[in-house]
Amino acid sequence: MLDPTSVQRHDGSNYQGPGIQGSMSVQPQDNTQWEQALTFIAVDRDKQAYSQLFSYFAPRLKAFGLKMFGNEQQAMEMVQDTMLNVWQKARLFDASRGCASTWIFTIARNVRFDMLRKKQSRKDELSADDLFFDGDYPEQEGTDSNEWDLWLLAEKVAPHFAKLPAAQRDVMEKVYLEEKSHQEVSEELSIPLGTVKSRIRLALDRLREAIDDPRS
Amino acid sequence: MIHAVKHHPALELLEQYIEASLAPELSLAIAAHLDLCPHCQRIKMDLEAEAGATLVSLSEAPSAEADWQQMLDFITAQPEVAAKMEKRQPFALQIQNSEILLPASLKPLLQNKLKWLNLGGISTAKLAGEDQHNVSLLYIRKESEVPQHTHLGLEITLVLKGKIYDESGCYGEGDLLINTPDHTHTPRTMSEDCLCLSVLTAPLKFKKGLTRLLNPLQHLFY
Repeated sequence: MLDPTSVQRHDGSNYQGPGIQGSMSVQPQDNTQWEQALTFIAVDRDKQAYSQLFSYFAPRLKAFGLKMFGNEQQAMEMVQDTMLNVWQKARLFDASRGCASTWIFTIARNVRFDMLRKKQSRKDELSADDLFFDGDYPEQEGTDSNEWDLWLLAEKVAPHFAKLPAAQRDVMEKVYLEEKSHQEVSEELSIPLGTVKSRIRLALDRLREAIDDPRS
Repeated sequence: MIHAVKHHPALELLEQYIEASLAPELSLAIAAHLDLCPHCQRIKMDLEAEAGATLVSLSEAPSAEADWQQMLDFITAQPEVAAKMEKRQPFALQIQNSEILLPASLKPLLQNKLKWLNLGGISTAKLAGEDQHNVSLLYIRKESEVPQHTHLGLEITLVLKGKIYDESGCYGEGDLLINTPDHTHTPRTMSEDCLCLSVLTAPLKFKKGLTRLLNPLQHLFY
Protein backbone atom coordinates (compact mmCIF):
# COMPACT_ATOMS: atom_id res chain seq x y z
CA MET A 1 0.00 0.00 0.00
CA LEU A 2 1.18 3.49 -0.76
CA ASP A 3 1.97 5.57 2.23
CA PRO A 4 0.69 9.09 1.43
CA THR A 5 3.40 10.76 3.53
CA SER A 6 6.09 9.11 1.48
CA VAL A 7 4.70 10.79 -1.63
CA GLN A 8 4.89 14.16 0.01
CA ARG A 9 8.50 13.61 0.85
CA HIS A 10 9.43 14.15 -2.75
CA ASP A 11 8.37 17.74 -2.36
CA GLY A 12 11.03 19.44 -0.30
CA SER A 13 8.95 22.53 0.41
CA ASN A 14 6.19 20.52 2.06
CA TYR A 15 8.64 18.79 4.24
CA GLN A 16 9.82 21.62 6.45
CA GLY A 17 6.38 22.59 7.68
CA PRO A 18 4.86 26.07 7.88
CA GLY A 19 6.89 27.23 10.87
CA ILE A 20 10.27 27.05 9.23
CA GLN A 21 9.29 27.88 5.71
CA GLY A 22 9.22 31.62 6.18
CA SER A 23 12.76 32.01 7.44
CA MET A 24 15.67 32.31 5.04
CA SER A 25 18.36 29.75 5.42
CA VAL A 26 22.01 30.81 5.53
CA GLN A 27 23.02 27.39 4.25
CA PRO A 28 23.64 27.16 0.52
CA GLN A 29 20.22 26.45 -0.97
CA ASP A 30 21.64 23.74 -3.09
CA ASN A 31 24.06 21.13 -1.89
CA THR A 32 25.30 20.59 -5.40
CA GLN A 33 26.37 24.20 -6.00
CA TRP A 34 30.11 23.49 -5.90
CA GLU A 35 29.81 20.26 -7.82
CA GLN A 36 28.18 22.26 -10.62
CA ALA A 37 30.82 24.96 -10.43
CA LEU A 38 33.53 22.34 -10.92
CA THR A 39 31.74 21.04 -13.99
CA PHE A 40 31.59 24.55 -15.48
CA ILE A 41 35.27 25.00 -14.78
CA ALA A 42 36.11 21.65 -16.36
CA VAL A 43 34.04 22.20 -19.47
CA ASP A 44 34.26 25.94 -20.13
CA ARG A 45 37.26 27.09 -18.07
CA ASP A 46 34.61 29.27 -16.47
CA LYS A 47 36.50 31.95 -14.54
CA GLN A 48 33.43 33.32 -12.84
CA ALA A 49 32.44 29.94 -11.45
CA TYR A 50 36.04 29.44 -10.38
CA SER A 51 36.17 32.82 -8.70
CA GLN A 52 33.10 31.98 -6.59
CA LEU A 53 34.50 28.59 -5.68
CA PHE A 54 37.79 30.27 -4.81
CA SER A 55 36.25 32.81 -2.47
CA TYR A 56 34.42 30.04 -0.63
CA PHE A 57 37.21 27.47 -0.36
CA ALA A 58 40.45 29.48 -0.23
CA PRO A 59 39.88 31.08 3.21
CA ARG A 60 38.74 27.73 4.62
CA LEU A 61 41.75 25.98 3.15
CA LYS A 62 43.88 28.65 4.74
CA ALA A 63 42.31 27.90 8.13
CA PHE A 64 43.03 24.21 7.52
CA GLY A 65 46.61 25.01 6.51
CA LEU A 66 47.18 27.15 9.59
CA LYS A 67 45.94 24.27 11.72
CA MET A 68 48.23 21.73 10.03
CA PHE A 69 51.38 23.81 9.49
CA GLY A 70 51.09 26.40 12.23
CA ASN A 71 52.43 29.17 10.02
CA GLU A 72 51.00 31.59 7.51
CA GLN A 73 53.54 31.17 4.74
CA GLN A 74 53.17 27.41 4.38
CA ALA A 75 49.42 27.66 4.83
CA MET A 76 49.21 30.08 1.90
CA GLU A 77 51.52 27.94 -0.21
CA MET A 78 49.18 25.01 0.43
CA VAL A 79 46.13 27.11 -0.50
CA GLN A 80 47.70 28.23 -3.76
CA ASP A 81 48.88 24.76 -4.80
CA THR A 82 45.56 23.22 -3.88
CA MET A 83 43.46 25.81 -5.69
CA LEU A 84 45.79 25.63 -8.70
CA ASN A 85 45.19 21.88 -8.87
CA VAL A 86 41.45 22.50 -8.69
CA TRP A 87 41.69 24.91 -11.64
CA GLN A 88 43.96 22.74 -13.73
CA LYS A 89 42.50 19.32 -13.00
CA ALA A 90 38.79 20.06 -12.63
CA ARG A 91 38.12 17.39 -15.24
CA LEU A 92 39.23 14.77 -12.75
CA PHE A 93 36.40 15.65 -10.40
CA ASP A 94 33.66 13.05 -10.52
CA ALA A 95 30.50 14.01 -8.68
CA SER A 96 29.38 10.39 -8.56
CA ARG A 97 32.31 9.65 -6.27
CA GLY A 98 31.67 12.37 -3.74
CA CYS A 99 31.22 16.04 -2.91
CA ALA A 100 33.38 18.91 -4.09
CA SER A 101 34.58 19.39 -0.51
CA THR A 102 35.79 15.79 -0.35
CA TRP A 103 37.74 16.16 -3.55
CA ILE A 104 39.27 19.47 -2.51
CA PHE A 105 40.22 18.05 0.88
CA THR A 106 42.08 15.17 -0.77
CA ILE A 107 43.98 17.59 -3.00
CA ALA A 108 44.97 19.75 -0.02
CA ARG A 109 46.03 16.65 1.90
CA ASN A 110 48.21 15.50 -1.00
CA VAL A 111 49.72 18.94 -1.46
CA ARG A 112 50.54 19.06 2.23
CA PHE A 113 52.10 15.60 2.15
CA ASP A 114 54.32 16.49 -0.80
CA MET A 115 55.30 19.80 0.82
CA LEU A 116 56.41 18.00 3.98
CA ARG A 117 58.25 15.42 1.93
CA LYS A 118 60.06 18.12 -0.03
CA LYS A 119 61.03 19.94 3.14
CA GLN A 120 62.68 16.78 4.45
CA SER A 121 64.35 16.58 1.03
CA ARG A 122 63.45 12.93 0.80
CA LYS A 123 63.95 11.79 -2.73
CA ASP A 124 62.48 8.35 -2.51
CA GLU A 125 59.49 7.12 -4.37
CA LEU A 126 56.75 7.73 -1.84
CA SER A 127 54.50 10.34 -3.42
CA ALA A 128 51.06 11.42 -2.30
CA ASP A 129 49.49 10.37 -5.59
CA ASP A 130 50.56 6.80 -5.01
CA LEU A 131 49.86 6.66 -1.31
CA PHE A 132 46.43 8.26 -1.45
CA PHE A 133 45.01 6.80 -4.59
CA ASP A 134 41.91 8.65 -5.74
CA GLY A 135 40.69 6.62 -8.72
CA ASP A 136 38.69 3.44 -9.02
CA TYR A 137 39.90 0.23 -7.54
CA PRO A 138 39.25 -2.84 -9.66
CA GLU A 139 35.84 -4.34 -9.04
CA GLN A 140 35.98 -6.97 -6.39
CA GLU A 141 33.35 -9.36 -5.31
CA GLY A 142 32.53 -8.54 -1.78
CA THR A 143 29.96 -9.01 0.86
CA ASP A 144 28.30 -5.98 2.28
CA SER A 145 30.17 -5.77 5.52
CA ASN A 146 27.48 -3.65 7.13
CA GLU A 147 24.96 -6.42 6.84
CA TRP A 148 24.77 -7.24 10.47
CA ASP A 149 21.89 -7.00 12.79
CA LEU A 150 22.24 -3.82 14.74
CA TRP A 151 19.28 -4.60 16.90
CA LEU A 152 20.46 -7.97 18.07
CA LEU A 153 23.40 -6.11 19.47
CA ALA A 154 21.39 -3.27 20.93
CA GLU A 155 22.42 -3.96 24.47
CA LYS A 156 26.06 -4.06 23.57
CA VAL A 157 25.77 -1.07 21.29
CA ALA A 158 24.05 1.36 23.64
CA PRO A 159 27.05 2.20 25.84
CA HIS A 160 29.16 3.01 22.78
CA PHE A 161 26.52 5.08 21.06
CA ALA A 162 27.18 8.07 23.30
CA LYS A 163 30.85 8.02 22.37
CA LEU A 164 30.27 8.49 18.65
CA PRO A 165 31.37 11.82 17.18
CA ALA A 166 28.43 14.23 17.45
CA ALA A 167 27.87 14.51 13.69
CA GLN A 168 27.59 10.74 13.31
CA ARG A 169 25.44 10.35 16.42
CA ASP A 170 22.95 12.94 15.14
CA VAL A 171 22.52 11.06 11.89
CA MET A 172 22.29 7.67 13.61
CA GLU A 173 19.64 8.91 16.05
CA LYS A 174 17.52 10.30 13.26
CA VAL A 175 17.80 7.16 11.14
CA TYR A 176 17.61 4.45 13.78
CA LEU A 177 15.65 6.02 16.62
CA GLU A 178 13.40 8.45 14.78
CA GLU A 179 13.22 6.11 11.78
CA LYS A 180 13.69 8.84 9.20
CA SER A 181 14.76 8.16 5.66
CA HIS A 182 18.25 9.14 4.56
CA GLN A 183 16.70 11.78 2.31
CA GLU A 184 14.78 13.32 5.21
CA VAL A 185 17.88 13.45 7.37
CA SER A 186 19.78 15.05 4.51
CA GLU A 187 17.18 17.81 4.20
CA GLU A 188 16.76 18.31 7.90
CA LEU A 189 20.47 18.74 8.56
CA SER A 190 21.20 20.46 5.22
CA ILE A 191 23.91 17.97 4.38
CA PRO A 192 24.30 16.01 1.15
CA LEU A 193 22.69 12.58 0.95
CA GLY A 194 26.11 11.01 0.43
CA THR A 195 27.28 12.49 3.71
CA VAL A 196 24.32 10.96 5.54
CA LYS A 197 25.16 7.57 4.10
CA SER A 198 28.86 7.83 4.82
CA ARG A 199 28.24 8.96 8.41
CA ILE A 200 26.01 5.95 8.98
CA ARG A 201 28.63 3.59 7.62
CA LEU A 202 31.36 5.21 9.70
CA ALA A 203 29.25 5.08 12.83
CA LEU A 204 28.40 1.41 12.23
CA ASP A 205 32.05 0.67 11.74
CA ARG A 206 33.01 2.51 14.87
CA LEU A 207 30.36 0.65 16.85
CA ARG A 208 31.49 -2.66 15.43
CA GLU A 209 35.03 -1.87 16.40
CA ALA A 210 34.00 -0.93 19.92
CA ILE A 211 32.07 -4.17 20.28
CA ASP A 212 34.82 -6.32 18.81
CA ASP A 213 37.39 -4.80 21.11
CA PRO A 214 37.95 -7.34 23.89
CA ARG A 215 39.03 -4.61 26.27
CA SER A 216 35.60 -3.01 26.25
CA MET B 1 40.39 -11.57 -4.24
CA ILE B 2 39.07 -14.87 -3.00
CA HIS B 3 40.43 -14.57 0.48
CA ALA B 4 38.26 -12.39 2.68
CA VAL B 5 40.45 -9.96 4.54
CA LYS B 6 39.89 -10.34 8.28
CA HIS B 7 42.51 -8.17 9.92
CA HIS B 8 42.07 -4.47 9.23
CA PRO B 9 43.75 -1.31 10.46
CA ALA B 10 41.88 0.37 13.32
CA LEU B 11 39.71 3.34 12.37
CA GLU B 12 42.08 5.62 14.21
CA LEU B 13 44.95 4.48 12.04
CA LEU B 14 42.86 5.02 8.90
CA GLU B 15 41.93 8.49 10.14
CA GLN B 16 45.58 9.38 10.55
CA TYR B 17 46.29 7.86 7.16
CA ILE B 18 43.70 9.89 5.27
CA GLU B 19 44.93 13.14 6.77
CA ALA B 20 48.55 12.18 6.03
CA SER B 21 49.59 12.33 9.68
CA LEU B 22 51.18 8.88 9.58
CA ALA B 23 54.81 8.32 8.69
CA PRO B 24 54.89 7.79 4.90
CA GLU B 25 56.24 4.27 5.30
CA LEU B 26 53.27 3.34 7.47
CA SER B 27 50.96 5.01 4.98
CA LEU B 28 52.44 2.77 2.32
CA ALA B 29 51.44 -0.34 4.25
CA ILE B 30 47.92 1.04 4.69
CA ALA B 31 47.73 1.96 0.99
CA ALA B 32 48.76 -1.58 0.02
CA HIS B 33 46.18 -3.00 2.42
CA LEU B 34 43.54 -0.78 0.79
CA ASP B 35 44.47 -2.20 -2.61
CA LEU B 36 43.49 -5.60 -1.27
CA CYS B 37 40.52 -4.67 0.90
CA PRO B 38 37.23 -3.30 -0.52
CA HIS B 39 35.89 -2.84 3.00
CA CYS B 40 38.61 -0.36 3.94
CA GLN B 41 38.44 1.31 0.51
CA ARG B 42 34.92 2.37 1.36
CA ILE B 43 35.86 3.50 4.85
CA LYS B 44 38.64 5.58 3.33
CA MET B 45 36.15 7.35 1.06
CA ASP B 46 33.79 7.91 3.97
CA LEU B 47 36.52 9.35 6.15
CA GLU B 48 37.60 11.65 3.34
CA ALA B 49 34.00 12.83 2.96
CA GLU B 50 33.96 13.58 6.68
CA ALA B 51 37.25 15.44 6.43
CA GLY B 52 35.84 17.46 3.53
CA ALA B 53 32.78 18.36 5.61
CA THR B 54 35.09 19.41 8.43
CA LEU B 55 37.10 21.54 6.01
CA VAL B 56 34.07 23.56 4.91
CA SER B 57 32.90 23.92 8.50
CA LEU B 58 36.10 25.80 9.47
CA SER B 59 35.74 29.52 9.89
CA GLU B 60 37.42 31.49 7.17
CA ALA B 61 40.98 32.60 7.82
CA PRO B 62 41.22 36.10 6.38
CA SER B 63 43.88 37.55 4.12
CA ALA B 64 44.07 40.94 2.47
CA GLU B 65 41.66 41.19 -0.46
CA ALA B 66 44.57 42.13 -2.74
CA ASP B 67 46.44 38.93 -1.80
CA TRP B 68 43.48 36.73 -2.66
CA GLN B 69 42.98 38.60 -5.91
CA GLN B 70 46.63 38.19 -6.85
CA MET B 71 46.46 34.45 -6.18
CA LEU B 72 43.24 34.12 -8.13
CA ASP B 73 44.70 36.01 -11.14
CA PHE B 74 47.83 33.90 -11.07
CA ILE B 75 45.88 30.64 -10.98
CA THR B 76 43.37 31.47 -13.70
CA ALA B 77 46.23 32.47 -16.01
CA GLN B 78 47.52 28.89 -15.89
CA PRO B 79 46.57 26.39 -18.58
CA GLU B 80 44.56 23.26 -17.98
CA VAL B 81 46.60 20.15 -17.27
CA ALA B 82 45.73 17.01 -19.12
CA ALA B 83 45.16 14.44 -16.43
CA LYS B 84 43.45 11.11 -16.56
CA MET B 85 41.83 9.11 -13.83
CA GLU B 86 43.56 5.79 -13.76
CA LYS B 87 42.36 2.46 -12.57
CA ARG B 88 44.34 0.82 -9.86
CA GLN B 89 45.65 -2.50 -11.12
CA PRO B 90 47.77 -5.11 -9.41
CA PHE B 91 51.01 -6.00 -11.14
CA ALA B 92 52.97 -9.22 -11.45
CA LEU B 93 56.51 -9.65 -10.22
CA GLN B 94 58.88 -12.57 -10.30
CA ILE B 95 59.81 -13.31 -6.70
CA GLN B 96 61.82 -16.32 -5.57
CA ASN B 97 60.98 -18.23 -8.73
CA SER B 98 57.27 -17.66 -8.77
CA GLU B 99 55.17 -14.92 -10.28
CA ILE B 100 53.24 -13.04 -7.64
CA LEU B 101 50.52 -10.41 -8.07
CA LEU B 102 51.27 -7.39 -5.94
CA PRO B 103 49.21 -4.35 -4.89
CA ALA B 104 49.62 -1.31 -7.13
CA SER B 105 50.83 0.85 -4.22
CA LEU B 106 54.09 -1.05 -4.15
CA LYS B 107 54.88 -0.56 -7.81
CA PRO B 108 56.94 2.64 -7.48
CA LEU B 109 59.19 0.91 -4.96
CA LEU B 110 59.73 -2.15 -7.11
CA GLN B 111 61.26 -0.55 -10.18
CA ASN B 112 64.78 -1.73 -9.40
CA LYS B 113 66.07 -5.24 -9.13
CA LEU B 114 65.56 -6.61 -5.64
CA LYS B 115 68.57 -7.49 -3.55
CA TRP B 116 67.68 -10.45 -1.41
CA LEU B 117 69.46 -11.34 1.80
CA ASN B 118 68.96 -14.91 2.86
CA LEU B 119 68.99 -16.11 6.44
CA GLY B 120 67.76 -19.65 6.95
CA GLY B 121 64.21 -19.97 5.71
CA ILE B 122 63.80 -16.24 5.44
CA SER B 123 64.78 -13.80 2.71
CA THR B 124 64.42 -10.08 2.89
CA ALA B 125 64.78 -7.28 0.38
CA LYS B 126 64.77 -3.67 1.48
CA LEU B 127 62.51 -1.41 -0.56
CA ALA B 128 62.82 1.97 1.06
CA GLY B 129 63.38 3.85 4.22
CA GLU B 130 66.19 5.10 6.31
CA ASP B 131 66.95 5.43 10.01
CA GLN B 132 63.84 4.69 11.95
CA HIS B 133 61.52 3.59 9.18
CA ASN B 134 62.16 0.52 7.14
CA VAL B 135 60.12 -0.98 4.34
CA SER B 136 61.04 -4.44 3.14
CA LEU B 137 59.68 -7.54 1.52
CA LEU B 138 59.91 -10.66 3.61
CA TYR B 139 59.82 -14.05 1.96
CA ILE B 140 59.35 -16.86 4.45
CA ARG B 141 59.69 -20.37 3.12
CA LYS B 142 57.17 -22.98 4.30
CA GLU B 143 57.67 -24.45 7.75
CA SER B 144 59.93 -21.63 8.87
CA GLU B 145 59.91 -19.51 11.97
CA VAL B 146 60.95 -15.92 12.49
CA PRO B 147 62.91 -15.79 15.75
CA GLN B 148 60.84 -14.53 18.65
CA HIS B 149 61.12 -10.79 18.93
CA THR B 150 59.61 -7.69 20.43
CA HIS B 151 59.52 -4.26 18.86
CA LEU B 152 60.85 -0.98 20.04
CA GLY B 153 58.35 0.73 17.78
CA LEU B 154 55.48 -0.19 15.56
CA GLU B 155 55.75 -3.16 13.24
CA ILE B 156 53.21 -3.49 10.47
CA THR B 157 53.17 -6.65 8.42
CA LEU B 158 50.91 -7.05 5.41
CA VAL B 159 50.48 -10.54 4.01
CA LEU B 160 50.79 -10.44 0.22
CA LYS B 161 50.74 -14.15 -0.55
CA GLY B 162 50.35 -17.33 1.45
CA LYS B 163 49.63 -17.54 5.16
CA ILE B 164 51.47 -16.74 8.33
CA TYR B 165 50.64 -17.79 11.88
CA ASP B 166 51.55 -16.31 15.21
CA GLU B 167 50.40 -16.63 18.82
CA SER B 168 47.23 -14.70 18.07
CA GLY B 169 46.08 -16.38 14.88
CA CYS B 170 46.34 -16.97 11.18
CA TYR B 171 46.81 -14.23 8.60
CA GLY B 172 46.13 -14.53 4.88
CA GLU B 173 46.35 -12.32 1.83
CA GLY B 174 45.49 -8.71 2.63
CA ASP B 175 45.55 -9.20 6.39
CA LEU B 176 47.43 -6.64 8.40
CA LEU B 177 49.33 -7.55 11.57
CA ILE B 178 50.17 -4.65 13.80
CA ASN B 179 52.57 -5.12 16.64
CA THR B 180 53.52 -2.58 19.26
CA PRO B 181 56.24 -2.68 21.93
CA ASP B 182 53.83 -4.64 24.15
CA HIS B 183 53.80 -7.63 21.83
CA THR B 184 56.25 -10.47 21.66
CA HIS B 185 55.55 -12.85 18.84
CA THR B 186 56.97 -15.72 16.83
CA PRO B 187 55.51 -15.62 13.33
CA ARG B 188 55.76 -18.88 11.41
CA THR B 189 54.65 -20.45 8.18
CA MET B 190 53.09 -23.89 7.80
CA SER B 191 52.57 -25.74 4.51
CA GLU B 192 53.08 -22.84 2.08
CA ASP B 193 55.58 -20.07 1.45
CA CYS B 194 54.56 -16.61 2.52
CA LEU B 195 55.40 -13.17 1.13
CA CYS B 196 54.89 -10.14 3.37
CA LEU B 197 55.47 -6.45 3.30
CA SER B 198 57.09 -5.37 6.52
CA VAL B 199 57.25 -1.82 7.82
CA LEU B 200 59.19 -1.12 10.95
CA THR B 201 59.21 2.21 12.70
CA ALA B 202 62.05 1.22 15.02
CA PRO B 203 64.47 -1.66 15.26
CA LEU B 204 63.37 -5.08 16.39
CA LYS B 205 64.77 -6.65 19.48
CA PHE B 206 65.28 -10.38 19.44
CA LYS B 207 64.77 -12.12 22.75
CA LYS B 208 66.15 -15.62 22.62
CA GLY B 209 69.60 -17.11 22.84
CA LEU B 210 71.76 -16.93 19.78
CA THR B 211 69.25 -14.89 17.88
CA ARG B 212 70.14 -12.04 20.20
CA LEU B 213 73.30 -11.87 18.19
CA LEU B 214 71.14 -10.81 15.31
CA ASN B 215 70.30 -7.55 17.00
CA PRO B 216 73.35 -5.57 15.93
CA LEU B 217 73.02 -7.05 12.46
CA GLN B 218 69.38 -6.45 11.98
CA HIS B 219 69.83 -3.43 9.79
CA LEU B 220 70.86 -6.08 7.31
CA PHE B 221 68.14 -8.40 8.30
CA TYR B 222 65.01 -6.25 8.18
